[in-house]
Amino acid sequence: MAQEMLKASANPLLPVVCKVTKIVDETPDVKTFHVTSENGKPFTPMPGQLGMVSLVDVGEAMFSVTSQGEDHLEFAIKRVGMLTDALHEMEPGQEIAVRGPYGNGFPIDMCKGKDLLFIGGGIGLAPLRSLINYCFENRNDFGHIQIIYGSRSPADLCFKDDIFNNWPKQENTRVDITVDKGDENWTGNEGFVPQILEEVNPSPEGKVAVVCGPPIMIKFVLQSLAKMNFTDDQIVTTLEMRMKCGIGKCGRCNIGSCYVCLDGPVFTLKQLNNMPNEY
Amino acid sequence: MSNELTTQMRELAKKLLEEEKVQMVIGWEKGSLPYHSTPVFVTNPEDAQKLIWDEYCANNLASYLLDYRNSGMKIALFVKGCDSRAIVRLLQDQQINRENVYVIGINCPGIKDNFNPEKEIAERCRDCTHPEPVLYDEIIGEKPDRASDKERFEGIEEIENMTPDEKYQFWQKEYDKCIRCFACRNVCPGCSCRECIFDQGQKWLERRVVSSENAFYHLTRALHLAGRCIECGECERVCPMNIPIMKLNKKIAKDIDSLFGPYEAAVNLEEMPPLGKYKEEDPEEFM
Amino acid sequence: MKIINVEKIPEIIKKWQNDCEVFVPVDNEGAVDFIPWSEGSKITLEGNSLVPPKKLFFPQTETLYKYETKGQSANVIALEEKTAQRIIFGIRPCDLKSLEMLDDVFLTKGFVDPYYKLKRENTALVALLCAEACDTCFCTSMNIDPGAASGADIVACKSGEQLGLQAQTEKGEELLNKVSQLTTEGEIDFKKAGNFKLQADIEGLAEKLKEHFESPYWEAACRKCIGCGTCTYLCPTCHCFDINSNTRGDHGIKTRCWDSCMFSEYTLMAGGHNPRPGKKERFRQRFLHKLQYFPERYNKTACVGCGRCLAKCPAIVDITRIITELREVTGIGTGNVESVS
Repeated sequence: MAQEMLKASANPLLPVVCKVTKIVDETPDVKTFHVTSENGKPFTPMPGQLGMVSLVDVGEAMFSVTSQGEDHLEFAIKRVGMLTDALHEMEPGQEIAVRGPYGNGFPIDMCKGKDLLFIGGGIGLAPLRSLINYCFENRNDFGHIQIIYGSRSPADLCFKDDIFNNWPKQENTRVDITVDKGDENWTGNEGFVPQILEEVNPSPEGKVAVVCGPPIMIKFVLQSLAKMNFTDDQIVTTLEMRMKCGIGKCGRCNIGSCYVCLDGPVFTLKQLNNMPNEY
Repeated sequence: MSNELTTQMRELAKKLLEEEKVQMVIGWEKGSLPYHSTPVFVTNPEDAQKLIWDEYCANNLASYLLDYRNSGMKIALFVKGCDSRAIVRLLQDQQINRENVYVIGINCPGIKDNFNPEKEIAERCRDCTHPEPVLYDEIIGEKPDRASDKERFEGIEEIENMTPDEKYQFWQKEYDKCIRCFACRNVCPGCSCRECIFDQGQKWLERRVVSSENAFYHLTRALHLAGRCIECGECERVCPMNIPIMKLNKKIAKDIDSLFGPYEAAVNLEEMPPLGKYKEEDPEEFM
Repeated sequence: MKIINVEKIPEIIKKWQNDCEVFVPVDNEGAVDFIPWSEGSKITLEGNSLVPPKKLFFPQTETLYKYETKGQSANVIALEEKTAQRIIFGIRPCDLKSLEMLDDVFLTKGFVDPYYKLKRENTALVALLCAEACDTCFCTSMNIDPGAASGADIVACKSGEQLGLQAQTEKGEELLNKVSQLTTEGEIDFKKAGNFKLQADIEGLAEKLKEHFESPYWEAACRKCIGCGTCTYLCPTCHCFDINSNTRGDHGIKTRCWDSCMFSEYTLMAGGHNPRPGKKERFRQRFLHKLQYFPERYNKTACVGCGRCLAKCPAIVDITRIITELREVTGIGTGNVESVS
């Protein structure tokens, strides 16, 4: 047999070099990176899908694609470790490497024709934003859209332009923002996300709730949703696990026999309830 | 071999658990094959009958105390001579509280190697200096009537007599075999760091299993144990690739013995490792 | 069947070596390993290799691609991999079976791993049937026949000083044709291994384990485990890996290396959360992966009964015992396992 060459197209582990064209400071520890490759977008993800981002000489990690444009992808990344430290030190013009898309993404078909209730906390809004933007781009496919989002302080709110300007302007849409504790300029809600959720008290009728945030928020949000009679198959969330390959081989992102990189990261609460509690 | 000891162990463990003097007894039980004796953790008095003593009770059980160092549990365990030094190691390193362990010494006649069961006696027992435990709350078994047939540092001159190039080649060949399973580290009573530097991503050690990284791993570990290695030989016993890990540990022990000694680690609770303290007569020719 | 005296095996291999690399099991200071045959290599026809032949398809350290960085620019360079044709001589039925599981992992579920695929396609397999079981063998318990080798290009079996060779594929025929002057036509009297000291019954276990994730059994069973990676690295079906950058100045290589679910940092996330924070969770993951998750995902038990994990475990964690105990825990009884004296 002739010698074979591993071609880029045939190799799912080989990333595409992209340029960081724009960096937005969202909060003191979150930045959004706009990336584009020579041929435009390195790939076209569906809402909720993931991309493996790397500074080639430092390392790779999996992030949800928070938004995309005609020719770029956006990743909102919180500074938590070695790689994200290095990513935060970047200046526009830096070349990084990206591969994907990975994962199942949000269940668009299940959401179509329904009212959507988005509940996010902190950086947890990043994956929700991909679906929120998709809904607004395909506004007629979805009913009423309600967004409840909170963070620790006003400074920690991500995507301020979206949450304060772009989204509230959309028709048939309600946005409630809250912070754990405001500052002298804050005139909005104060309180945890589950509290605001209970005040808003949405009816589960014809709704899908899409939840993402820190574990403690999720815990109490789920309790509140249960009180409001949301069923487990009406609640959708997206998970985070350590990943290396992203293609279901390297073994570390499993929850039972599910691989979060392939079968997730999006699961309904009903699915999660049938999986071992190990995430 | 010693059914009488087995009976004694079971009675003792049962009593300790029944009287709630301890919450757990760590000993050995029989495995599936005749030469398999494996650690067992007894928490119910009725399970004490699982305990056995035979010539294949190889595991040094003291290292398991590290798993319970924050539990506040009171634990009894059986120790051979070498294992008892591991208790001293853990006490000197302030990993365990003396009042939380109940040490049952076994006068050890020497054991066999469960990975090489055909050998008359495990290689590491041949130069044993302490068949009688150095520390215990009570002791069982007859005082062993045996003399080591090997000096403590016998065989070390083989590597001492090598030229630097020969040494390099010798160790490189051995370290090339390493698969970095970390069994040697995990079994070692001297390796008690809560977070080992080799468990910190690639900060210190690259993931690649190549000569340079393997050597760095083994040399770092050997030096970290300098003056602290209790010479139990567990690292070498568990190495799936047959790397002669003790050869380097013994060489370092020999150097420490000649530079700061006479010194044998963890034989005496009061005598701290020489590299952990300062004495005016310490050699200082490098200064 | 082609017959040859075992003393003549090197001559066959030399012939094959003319146009490919032949890996043979060789005793390297007490550790049998598959290494390229060279003049004087002493081939081991008894027992099995210590490190499983998975390393020839999925090496412990493997370069994925190279990269360069300069200022703000980065470059990713694909490898031109030149894997020559290879033969593995002497792979045992259990290890052969393990390749089916690795195939499932690396070649299915939407993504094909090109590094594995290339090596798999370029390798011919000469299986060696087992006439004798080692103490720690229990392949028959995992429904593997020590006297059959489906998937091998050639099946070899030894009886006394005779080695019989039977081609099972076209590739195998070709290889045997190349050495036809060295062999004679005939039959040999081969009796496969039967006297297994260890047994385990996995019938119905995967289904039952679903309900026992939270069983107190795991807490008790994991105690003796020292959390090293020996079992996973020596397991022919374990396939977890890590991917890392290895940078030297302005260039470097991306490598993948074997990793182990027994290690504390395996699932540790950058923010500090670890879904499997302790020994119990990691121990449970290893056994449930083999006995429940893998069967659920690929319809195969991820254990071939080679016994390497038991043979080399520092604490003698015995998977056959664990299976037997799990049968009791899950209430399906001890099954067909005769007690071993």
